[in-house]
Amino acid sequence: MSKLSAGRKTSSSKLTSWVEPSFGDLFSGSGLNSFRLKKGERVKPGEQGEPWVDKHSPSSQADLAVHKKKIEEVENWLKSHLDVRPETKGGAILLLTGPSGCGKTATLRVLTQELGCRVQEWSNPTMTSEFRTEESFRDTFDPSSRFNGFHGVSQTAEFQEFLLRANKYGRLQMLGDGLTSGRKVILVEDLPNQFYRQPASLHDILRRFVRTCRCPLVFIVSDCLSGSSSSRHLFPRDLQEELGVWNISFNPVAPTSTMKVLSRIVTQEAARSGGRVAVPDKAALDLLCAGSSGDIRSAINSLQFSSLTGSSLDTRVWPGKKGKSLPSVSRGLSRGKGKSKTSRSSDTLDCSPAIGGKDASLFLFRALGKILYCKRESCTSPEGPSLPAHLSEHQRDTLLVDPEAVVEKSHMSGELFNLYLQQNYLDFFSEMEDVARASEYLSDSDFLTAEWTSRSTMREYGSSVATRGLIHSNSARARADSQTSVGFKPLHKPHWLLVSKKYRENCQAAQCLFTSYCLTPLSLQTELLPYLAQLTNPMRNQAQIAFMQDVGHLPLRKYPGRLKLEALTDKDPGTLDEDSEEEGPAVSAPGPEEPEDPAQPCSQGPGSDLPASQPQPTTSQALLEEEEMLIEEYDSD
Amino acid sequence: MSLWVDKYRPTSLGKLDYHKEQANQLKNLVQCGDFPHLLVYGPSGAGKKTRIMCLLRELYGPGVEKLRIEHQSITAPSKKKIEINSIASNYHLEVNASDAGNSDRVVIQELIKTVAQSQQIQWSSKRNRGDAGVSVDTVVLLTEVDRLTKDAQHALRRTMEKYMSTCRLILCCNSTSKVIGPIRSRCLAVRVPLPSTEEVCSVLNSVCRKEGLLLPGELAKRIAEKSGRNLRKALLMCEACRVQQYPFSAEQDIPDTDWEVYLKETANAIVSQQSPQRLLEVRARLYELLTHCIPPEIIIKGLVAELLSNCDGHLKAEVAQAAAHYEHRLQLGNKAIYHLEAFVAKFMAVYKKFMEDGLDAMMF
Repeated sequence: MSKLSAGRKTSSSKLTSWVEPSFGDLFSGSGLNSFRLKKGERVKPGEQGEPWVDKHSPSSQADLAVHKKKIEEVENWLKSHLDVRPETKGGAILLLTGPSGCGKTATLRVLTQELGCRVQEWSNPTMTSEFRTEESFRDTFDPSSRFNGFHGVSQTAEFQEFLLRANKYGRLQMLGDGLTSGRKVILVEDLPNQFYRQPASLHDILRRFVRTCRCPLVFIVSDCLSGSSSSRHLFPRDLQEELGVWNISFNPVAPTSTMKVLSRIVTQEAARSGGRVAVPDKAALDLLCAGSSGDIRSAINSLQFSSLTGSSLDTRVWPGKKGKSLPSVSRGLSRGKGKSKTSRSSDTLDCSPAIGGKDASLFLFRALGKILYCKRESCTSPEGPSLPAHLSEHQRDTLLVDPEAVVEKSHMSGELFNLYLQQNYLDFFSEMEDVARASEYLSDSDFLTAEWTSRSTMREYGSSVATRGLIHSNSARARADSQTSVGFKPLHKPHWLLVSKKYRENCQAAQCLFTSYCLTPLSLQTELLPYLAQLTNPMRNQAQIAFMQDVGHLPLRKYPGRLKLEALTDKDPGTLDEDSEEEGPAVSAPGPEEPEDPAQPCSQGPGSDLPASQPQPTTSQALLEEEEMLIEEYDSD
Repeated sequence: MSLWVDKYRPTSLGKLDYHKEQANQLKNLVQCGDFPHLLVYGPSGAGKKTRIMCLLRELYGPGVEKLRIEHQSITAPSKKKIEINSIASNYHLEVNASDAGNSDRVVIQELIKTVAQSQQIQWSSKRNRGDAGVSVDTVVLLTEVDRLTKDAQHALRRTMEKYMSTCRLILCCNSTSKVIGPIRSRCLAVRVPLPSTEEVCSVLNSVCRKEGLLLPGELAKRIAEKSGRNLRKALLMCEACRVQQYPFSAEQDIPDTDWEVYLKETANAIVSQQSPQRLLEVRARLYELLTHCIPPEIIIKGLVAELLSNCDGHLKAEVAQAAAHYEHRLQLGNKAIYHLEAFVAKFMAVYKKFMEDGLDAMMF
């Protein structure tokens, strides 16, 4: 099907050159081209309104804005897996991940072109593909059989068949095809939707693929912050291990490379089109760079948009350009190497451009780092207002981060973000005094969001109090020049969610298992259970014994070993799914993963758990036997 | 083999070991087969429940001692299912509605309604048989009333009036300060104070005698003091002593619970060093206590007690104030660890500053 679409596209691109549309001057041809079926493939350059992304799509490794090392890595993989003998074990899988617009697809296309192999790409079929030919149409709606109505094939099945065919059959020798080598790469960028819902079906297909197939298969998956479609959901670690999936993760394009590409395009376009293209100046380019946050595709798109609209619109499109961006640029130029720093500061200082500004988002790891390391700007103007002497300990240099923006960009609720901060802040403090103040701010923040009726309003204030409080109270990092490097500190996931869950579960289990003692939870947990653990009192059932061993005893060692620190990794999306804890102290029904199934001891069968209840020192055994009758027939005596 | 606490629990008002006058009054109260709603309050381990069960037995006879555990599920108007355990005999139903958390209002309303209405049917049949002069048919015993939400307490007040004719409520709690006024005024309040040390000793002695053990008076006194006159705790301690060593000696160690020892160690860790790293360790210990079902309020209380005994008199006021502040936060807030940690950090900062100042003063 890729062949067909490719064929159709070439014809369509030819058409545009043969027939000049009558509205050509209106859309200047861009209308047709924007309906192209596949992105990234080069069409004859020269059309006026063609997106610059395609027009200037890289054709050699030198053009790529991706880091050299990454290109090399992909190239090595391709080289080592393209020329595998068919009889040896084949079916290697490469997984390219990274944020959108960081050049994953471009890299692959350039490399395959250079290596002289063909890319066969899967594209999700639409329903119309069923009726491509007369014959299949007739097959589908066969009037002779009434029941054989519309039969569709599921996307999953089609995908599987595509893999099989792409693997088995070479390309037809077409006239004029330059390439004769049978080398090819299967590319999947557009996964069938079904796989997002059931990753297991994808895994099955991949397992089969690895067993039987010969040519390399490349998946390109964009990182995203929502949980379900992320690459770690589709390709979990264990699967990657099992199938030998090689994962190469791309970083956002560096601002310097983006700048290079943008200025190259600008000069080319300016040379080509005389005065029609308004060339944005250096400052505007810088702003574009910052606004795109490493997405080169969006950077080029907005470059085209901003330069095509003509100079009259220019001032409106860039509000405040003169005021804000110029100094940052001059600084960036003077510092040379420090450009990345300036661009970061300019995007946090919130002068995002009116167009082309991509919503910048931060991964949790970076967001936490921003708060905890709290970069400050050295105070350049000493004549600014300073605090009076008795408050001088609160004097701080200007912050380079905007805490509220950081929390917002981290895509988490403020409360959860606070938990992460609470888990990690201690490593960054050295003075006890500061810690006391910081922890008080955290406590304040929790207090602010305590009442559920006002929580939605207070949430933002709460996170603001916590983040700003943490930053302010760290007096060791109050000055830009005194900010000694604390070095890399590993960040960890908060324990609290786990602990509070365990606390609730254990409390519930205790109440279920020891109902017969008729005690309030408080005295049960602090008096009865601990002493029961010390007594040799035989307990009635296994669950109680297990529970006692787990909960009744505390490890009286110096360092508790129960809690393992779970390190937070670079791209971790945060535990969004454990949010349910936010609901407040509502006690829910016992979850399915209760350690000791509470339903069993609680059921009121002729249970062995009844007798120990308090007011009956009488013979409990006899009571057990007649218990069943007692319930119904008691009023007869 | 059941615990001594359960084994030697008195079952009739006449057999109670202490507060005999009150027992007599209660006996007179139910003489006529009826009684008003009761609000029984007093500290933990004073014998509230024992007294209530005795009262019920006085009223209904030994039938109340045949208990069964019922597992009830109640559907809230919002279609949420609430599971709750209750303990029931044919005459009474014991529920801890605060188990249901925020949905306790629904539990109170539904449960009492079902009980009161279903009893009405039996009521007529029983009347015909002329049951021995008992005019109240069912008693609902609500424990931990002070932990109910305000919503639930208001619902309770309404329910109390509505079903006054068929059922009686006995409310049981530690302190009346969290019970709303309307409920307090609708009930006859019965305060059960803690037994005196001598009374605890005599109970311990009598229990040991029944077990055939010899308990030295010295040890009994020490147990009584250590338990804080909490009779339940005292009996459990005594039994633990028995497991630890018999025959008893007057000087033997009285076993502490694990969590108390652990808490003490935690307090020592706080006092011995004040640094962020130490706070990290303390946090891990707090988590450990929480996972072992020790409620945060108890933790902070225990910590304060330990820390206060360890620090200088000048600091006591400040530390106590900080503790009160964070304990209040703890009650209002969502996540206990913030407040526990803030208290520990505050103590560390205060203590460290005090020690450093003291050191400076020594230098000069």
